[in-house]
Amino acid sequence: MAGLKIENITKRFGETDVLKGVSLDIADGEFLSLVGPSGCGKSTLLRIIAGLEEQSSGEIYIGGAPVAGRRAADRNLSMVFQSYALYPHLSVAENIAVPLKMRRLSPLQRLPVLGRFMPGMRHQAAEIGTEITHAAKMLEIAHLLDRKPGQLSGGQRQRVALGRALVRDPTAFLLDEPLSNLDAKLRVQTRAEIAQLHRRLEATFIYVTHDQVEAMTMSDRIAVMMGGRILQCAAPDVVYDDPDTIEVAEFIGSPKINIVPVEVAETGEICLLDRKLDLLAQGRGKGVMSLGLRPEALRLAGEDAPIKGHVVHSENLGAELFVQIDAAGLGHPLTFRAAPRDRQALALGAPVGLAFDAAQALLFGADGLRVRDVRHHLPTQAEVA
Amino acid sequence: MTRDWWKHLILILGVIVVIAPFYMMVSYSFKSPGEIDRGEGGFFGRQEMMVDERCVKLRDPSRDDIAAAMDRFPGQTDAAIRTALVAEAEADCSMRPVVFNYSKAFTEAPLLRYLLNGVIVTASIFLIQVVVALPAAYALAKLKFWGRETVFGLVLFCLLIPVHAIALPLYIMLTKLGLTNSYAALVVPWTISVFGIFLMRQFFMTVPDDLIDAARMDGMSELAIVWRVMLPTAVPALMAFAIFSVVAHWNDYFWPRIVISGNRDLFTPPLGLREFKGDADGSFFGPMMATATVIVTPLIVAFLIAQKRFIEGITLSGMK
Ligand SMILES: Nc1ncnc2c1ncn2[C@@H]1O[C@H](COP(=O)(O)OP(=O)(O)OP(=O)(O)O)[C@@H](O)[C@H]1O
Ligand SMILES: [Mg+2]
Repeated sequence: MAGLKIENITKRFGETDVLKGVSLDIADGEFLSLVGPSGCGKSTLLRIIAGLEEQSSGEIYIGGAPVAGRRAADRNLSMVFQSYALYPHLSVAENIAVPLKMRRLSPLQRLPVLGRFMPGMRHQAAEIGTEITHAAKMLEIAHLLDRKPGQLSGGQRQRVALGRALVRDPTAFLLDEPLSNLDAKLRVQTRAEIAQLHRRLEATFIYVTHDQVEAMTMSDRIAVMMGGRILQCAAPDVVYDDPDTIEVAEFIGSPKINIVPVEVAETGEICLLDRKLDLLAQGRGKGVMSLGLRPEALRLAGEDAPIKGHVVHSENLGAELFVQIDAAGLGHPLTFRAAPRDRQALALGAPVGLAFDAAQALLFGADGLRVRDVRHHLPTQAEVA
Repeated sequence: MTRDWWKHLILILGVIVVIAPFYMMVSYSFKSPGEIDRGEGGFFGRQEMMVDERCVKLRDPSRDDIAAAMDRFPGQTDAAIRTALVAEAEADCSMRPVVFNYSKAFTEAPLLRYLLNGVIVTASIFLIQVVVALPAAYALAKLKFWGRETVFGLVLFCLLIPVHAIALPLYIMLTKLGLTNSYAALVVPWTISVFGIFLMRQFFMTVPDDLIDAARMDGMSELAIVWRVMLPTAVPALMAFAIFSVVAHWNDYFWPRIVISGNRDLFTPPLGLREFKGDADGSFFGPMMATATVIVTPLIVAFLIAQKRFIEGITLSGMK
């Protein structure tokens, strides 16, 4: 086990810059999720760390030592592929045995038929067998050991792929969207299994996903990646509550954060729909900025609410209700999380007033960066309206 | 009658055209020379006892034979003994046509030796072709290196060169190396099969990159990937290639005829057929067709066995 350090990695494919200077510092035993939209370069970064692809510039350190020029096999990392990549001609047990055999047995011992008669082979084979059984028990695939991958379901294949990665004792595990082919129920279950596995093994995990729920629930830290850059790398609650940029705020959180345009006066006073908010952004000059409001930051309010509109759509999830509200003066509907007891008041077309805590509003500049030096006129608990 | 009857008719006509020569071959191998000449006797011939003229002629009793036979035929004239001996010889030399044809096939020429040569040559050619083609195809399909497209272009170009066009230069080179009349002359020119490289490369293109990367992560070297991952997944394609290769070289008459002259120990089965061509003492179609039947039988049996493997193959479904 060891930490990983990634320093200013860039990668070009022909004319396109896929990675534009990625730096990450991953501690020993940390579970780091790499999230981002499709095509942002997550898999590419993982493959570069694994040594399957060569970076255009930058350096990678594993356990403090640079690994430039070292083959994938010699980096002692373990990887689970987006597509599982099981050997189709080998049984489940043989699939899991491959990494052990390749590392422990001599070339003579690996010979197809003769290998069995090489000295020391019986002892080695028994040892490998025990480890396979152990891994299979842990992943609950012990009854499948004799099957070929073609005879397994997607979820079972995924566990075999995990098993093949886990039998070894690598420096770090790299998992590339290992749950993308599973159905919703199995995904939740396997998510929990992987998290438990991480706690038990105390190994370093880098987990690529474009599903931010997975990232939020499993990781110590989340690295949000977009367009070949890491926009923010922090603990899940920090990324959610305190995003650095508007892209991060929009990517993390489901349903998506509401972004509304606000006007900033010379004095730093902020107006939403011509109504002054108790927020001050001083020293930024006059202009238009964006205010981010999470669906749960909004709440129902009476006549003099700052945002007024009517219900255009609502989704009942049982424990909560997501309501889309078309507000006059804003380009697109706002999403608002309501309690089920408010259902009556939120019938389709009903007029609604919305208010919010200024303290929970996130202010972003015109360049998309977060504006953090905001002050509140009033004590933070005070409310608008 | 379905509306598709005419399709079946066309197919049946096609089958007849393809099967007819085989039918003739097998049928002739059963018949006596007379039946073959007159074109009678149906498929199996009448299988009447026939006398092998050559056998009788070889046993034509000489004066010594007659003298030696005096004891067995006491008190008879030389002429009578001679007639009796000829009758004996004829009795010994008479047999069913099918027995005659097939025994001739194996006794007239060392057919077993030829078959063994055929196995040695085709097996060596195929094995070496695989040893060369798999790594080459893997490199062309999955490794990135400078000039890869050019090399692949050359492979495609070589597909266009007919073997007959380069037969003479090849022959001259083999002569200069002193390799004519050897197994090497039969095997070496065919060991690099551009068709095999091309076919396997096309198949390897369909193998997901992730599978190869997974093998690399598991600690395999590139050559280990070729033999431990690519070869087992490519079995169906390899079988298809095996058919082309084995059929072509088992049946090849042209090349062995050029490089093997004289030494009958190196004859391949098709060369063996020549032993029966236009002998002075009458046509030898029966034994010739029996030889031909013996030569094609191993191929037919092998491919009936391999057929199942062809169809089932190993699907790549385990990867997704
Ligand atoms: N071998 C390649 N040649 C050229 N471009 C490539 C190559 N591999 C990846 N790319 C490009 O690099 C970009 C990033 O690809 P990558 O596979 O890393 O995305 P990703 O973040 O893993 O996406 P997803 O979530 O869909 O898996 C994509 O725009 C892709 O088209
Ligand atoms: Mg990917």
